[in-house]
Amino acid sequence: MAITRRVFLKGGALAIVGTSVIPSFLTRAVYAAETATAGTGKKRLVVLFQRGAADGLNIVIPHAEAAYYSMRPSIAIPRPKGNNGAIDLDGFFGLHPSMADFKPLWDAGHLAIVHAAGSPDNTRSHFDAQDYMESGTPGMKATEDGWLNRALAGMKEPAASPFRAVAMGGALPRTLAGSIPAVSMGNIREFTVGGRGPGGNIASNSFEAMYEQSVDTVLHGTGNETFEAVKMLRSADPEKYTPAPGANYPRGRFGDSLRQVAQLIKANLGVEVAFADIGGWDHHVNEGSIQGQIANLTRELSQSIAAFWTDLGDLGADTVIVTMSEFGRTARENGNRGTDHGHANVMFVLGGPVKGGKVYGRWPGLQTEQLYEGRDLAVTTDFRQVLSEAVYQHLGNKDLEKVFPGFDKASPRNFLKYLG
Amino acid sequence: MRATRKLVILMIIAVLASAFALLAADKQSKSKSKQARAAGPAQMEENKKILHALNRLTFGPHPGDVEKVSAEGLDKWFEQQLHPDKIDNSQLEARLAPFRTLKMSTTEMVENFPPPQVVRALENGRMSLPSDPGKRAIYESRMAAYEQRQQKKEQTIDADMKTDAQGDEQMTPEQRNARQKDREARMFADIDSAQLLQMPPEQRYNNILKMTPEERVELARAVKGPEAMQLVDGMKPEQRETIQAILQPQLVVGGELAQAKVLRAIYSERQLEEVMTDFWFNHFNVFINKGPDRYMVTAYERDVIREHAFGKFRDLLVATAKSPAMLFYLDNWQSVGPDSDLAKYGPQRPGAQKRFRRFGMQPPPRPQANNKNRPSGLNENYAREIMELHTLGVDGGYTQKDVTELAKVLTGWSIQQPQRGGDFFYNERAHEPGTKHVLGHEIKEHGQDEAMQVFDILAHHPSTAKFISKKLAMRFVSDTPPQSLIDKMTETFLKKDGDIREVLRTMFRSPEFWAADAYRAKVKTPLEFVASAVRASGVDVQNALPLVQQLNKMGMPLYAMQPPTGYSMKAETWVNSSALVNRMNFALALGVGRLPGLTPNPQAMLHGENPSDTNAAVATLENTLLAGDISAQTHAVIEKQLSDPQVAQRRLDDPAKPPNYGAIAGLIMGSPEFQRR
Repeated sequence: MAITRRVFLKGGALAIVGTSVIPSFLTRAVYAAETATAGTGKKRLVVLFQRGAADGLNIVIPHAEAAYYSMRPSIAIPRPKGNNGAIDLDGFFGLHPSMADFKPLWDAGHLAIVHAAGSPDNTRSHFDAQDYMESGTPGMKATEDGWLNRALAGMKEPAASPFRAVAMGGALPRTLAGSIPAVSMGNIREFTVGGRGPGGNIASNSFEAMYEQSVDTVLHGTGNETFEAVKMLRSADPEKYTPAPGANYPRGRFGDSLRQVAQLIKANLGVEVAFADIGGWDHHVNEGSIQGQIANLTRELSQSIAAFWTDLGDLGADTVIVTMSEFGRTARENGNRGTDHGHANVMFVLGGPVKGGKVYGRWPGLQTEQLYEGRDLAVTTDFRQVLSEAVYQHLGNKDLEKVFPGFDKASPRNFLKYLG
Repeated sequence: MRATRKLVILMIIAVLASAFALLAADKQSKSKSKQARAAGPAQMEENKKILHALNRLTFGPHPGDVEKVSAEGLDKWFEQQLHPDKIDNSQLEARLAPFRTLKMSTTEMVENFPPPQVVRALENGRMSLPSDPGKRAIYESRMAAYEQRQQKKEQTIDADMKTDAQGDEQMTPEQRNARQKDREARMFADIDSAQLLQMPPEQRYNNILKMTPEERVELARAVKGPEAMQLVDGMKPEQRETIQAILQPQLVVGGELAQAKVLRAIYSERQLEEVMTDFWFNHFNVFINKGPDRYMVTAYERDVIREHAFGKFRDLLVATAKSPAMLFYLDNWQSVGPDSDLAKYGPQRPGAQKRFRRFGMQPPPRPQANNKNRPSGLNENYAREIMELHTLGVDGGYTQKDVTELAKVLTGWSIQQPQRGGDFFYNERAHEPGTKHVLGHEIKEHGQDEAMQVFDILAHHPSTAKFISKKLAMRFVSDTPPQSLIDKMTETFLKKDGDIREVLRTMFRSPEFWAADAYRAKVKTPLEFVASAVRASGVDVQNALPLVQQLNKMGMPLYAMQPPTGYSMKAETWVNSSALVNRMNFALALGVGRLPGLTPNPQAMLHGENPSDTNAAVATLENTLLAGDISAQTHAVIEKQLSDPQVAQRRLDDPAKPPNYGAIAGLIMGSPEFQRR
């Protein structure tokens, strides 16, 4: 089937119609088919991490729960009446009003929500919980690699692009650590050695030779990945891909990250998995409600993701985006109009193949006896259930036991079926 | 002819020097081998030991350091480093002198470089303007900026309410007037900034002070980046700070602190103190960009961290707990016991509710209006991080219940007016009454002393001893330090009452510290990399800001790690493609002098070597930057580059021109071996 389509595109459409009137996605498809080394035409998974434990109850609001309002006298998001309340989704849940950019995606059926998702481990330490979520092995500290790297590790790729796995930011996140080479970059433009002049090339080649032959295994490996990526980036020149019309990324690091991920994807560099993060969710004090800290962050989050989705255009059809945060926050607000470290949280899933417009997962309720340890939203969906479905159905890696070792629900039986 | 003779003399000197070094090392090895006779790990070669010690206990060797320590004796040098007060540091002091905030109290900083709260107080007439012209200029500019922000806010709100079709006609005369003024100010500022930059410093300073506050706000908008540096060039410290406070107020306090940190790492003679101050700050991390912490971190590092860097762990822990910086950062200052007087009766005059109770009456409930704006419950944040990050470690054997109980113990540990740079203050009325239970200990109701009791328990807990010892071993020895080393250090920690100096001694004297596989086992963090490169190359730092900015780019902004975990010390965090690209580029830029305010000194790097003798010069460079311990492949690459005309910058018509040694130095500093210490 795929071959037929490719043949048609190459020999048919282009030859007959001529390039000038070919829609961009068709030329891109042809280009993708021809540059096989870049591993294009693949499915993509984009993972976004909200660091600091986002308050899921104020992001996707259970506005039909009376307990929600009694436990949060000063920070609750009002019921969806008028302009300032939650944006109703299904009569029970609503979006934070600053996430209006998500509503069209929900209505179009691209955006799904999984509520009361989280890790079975009871740690309330940011550090440990992030580590567990990124390694994909809650409770196991000895795991050295990340689940997103293992998600690719099982899939053979002889002429893999160095951009198969990319992370935006100064450091390589734990999620992407592992045997598959992964590239991290703070900024596409600065990802070059010695500048762009001829002198820079000489310096770059010298460094390359040093690292290529180094006996220092750690630096040798990273060095090789780095130079391969630098060279490929130089020839692909992703910066010529300006955001699509209507893709209005908000200012800030997160929007920048997603814009650059989009540039890499659109430059056909063979991106299969990408990772970016947005920090600042640890609202112990003055969390805010329809305005304030939480509103500013949810706005930045939703506007960035919506812009990214618009920017991808028809590439969105092969893309799944999933968000996560290390744990949720206490169901009750604390003494400082904030919330403390809790348990379950909300996850967003967005993408072409996603069956959206629905909140997945069993809602555990907010009555005191329904709360985890009497204080937090209980976990009814293991975050790995959500991720394993994306890995299995979307990326096509069926070896879930390797991606999530020790996870007893690592099987299609336990999928939420948000991918059908 | 003369060159050859000079070379011969130099070679003789070099041979003699290395012979002495070997002799000295040999002498040490004899005394050492007696100590470390017990079968331990394979030891590193004797001639590597001094380099190893410098790499681990300092921010990297400075040219001549190996020889100096060799002459002095390693043990003696180490003991000296453990007592920083006895080491002369006047050269560094001179470099830090222009940064006046380093010696200011938090209140003085708030007064000199007012935060928005103070500006608001002025606006509302709750405070009056200072009379000093410099200070007055700062205040006026801040107020003008504040007013403009307020205006803009109102304008956007107005604009939001109007449709796009409505234009100028719909503006009120006031709005039109304001906009006109705004445009004019922008135009004047353009002219001013170009002229200003040409003026001598004194005149430039006076002219800026003569501007209207609105003009200064515009000037701040017009002058950005390198021009902002030019604007203060040549001014006296006080003048520079005043101008910076007008242009970029946030840069004065935090900027001076960050520059000072880099300068200290590079130029302090008390290197181990710098390393330990960095270690403890990172351990008891505070994020400088959280509200008033902007003003508190200077005193925190100076009076809390540095002060106790070599002392007893308990004292350090208590000092951090009493510091406004920490209490604000981890929210404890707002934590209120749910059954405390403050929660029950609200902020009444002292004694008011006591009067009620004395007569057996229930005090009146606090008015509802007050409820919303006042903290009235527990905040667990600090209590959790004390146990998880500061003392026991995440596996140290505590429960959620212990966290909540410790949070109760800590209620009342607060700050007096944090926005004004206030001090620690114990608020009895916020303290949770009743007995608490922490880690199986019963803590009887005793106000502020309850926390002191728990700090004693925590500071002397075996989990704490182990956790701190392991972290120190990870900083100084390896990412995965041997258990035998951790055990020895833990034992000392427990036996010597958490004496940090003693724990470091135990580590230094252990065979594990000198194990062959510990040599160059640590990957430098960005700070260690940047500082060690500047130290090794002898580049003179006239302006530390570019180095501070490099660290931002490398993912290690100083004092700006938001989570309380602090920065990782492990290789995996810092070895990735983004980091490598940044390191190589920095090394090149530093070597060839492309960073503003950082002038390379090729003559110093070459140790007076004749630059036209390429091989000898490169050997000297390799010696200076890597103590001669360079890999064959790195050396081969450099040799190959020397013959490349573009790198060597040699032209056919000018054969005498020496190669670009700055670029060679850059290549060496960007090499794999320079990334390790």
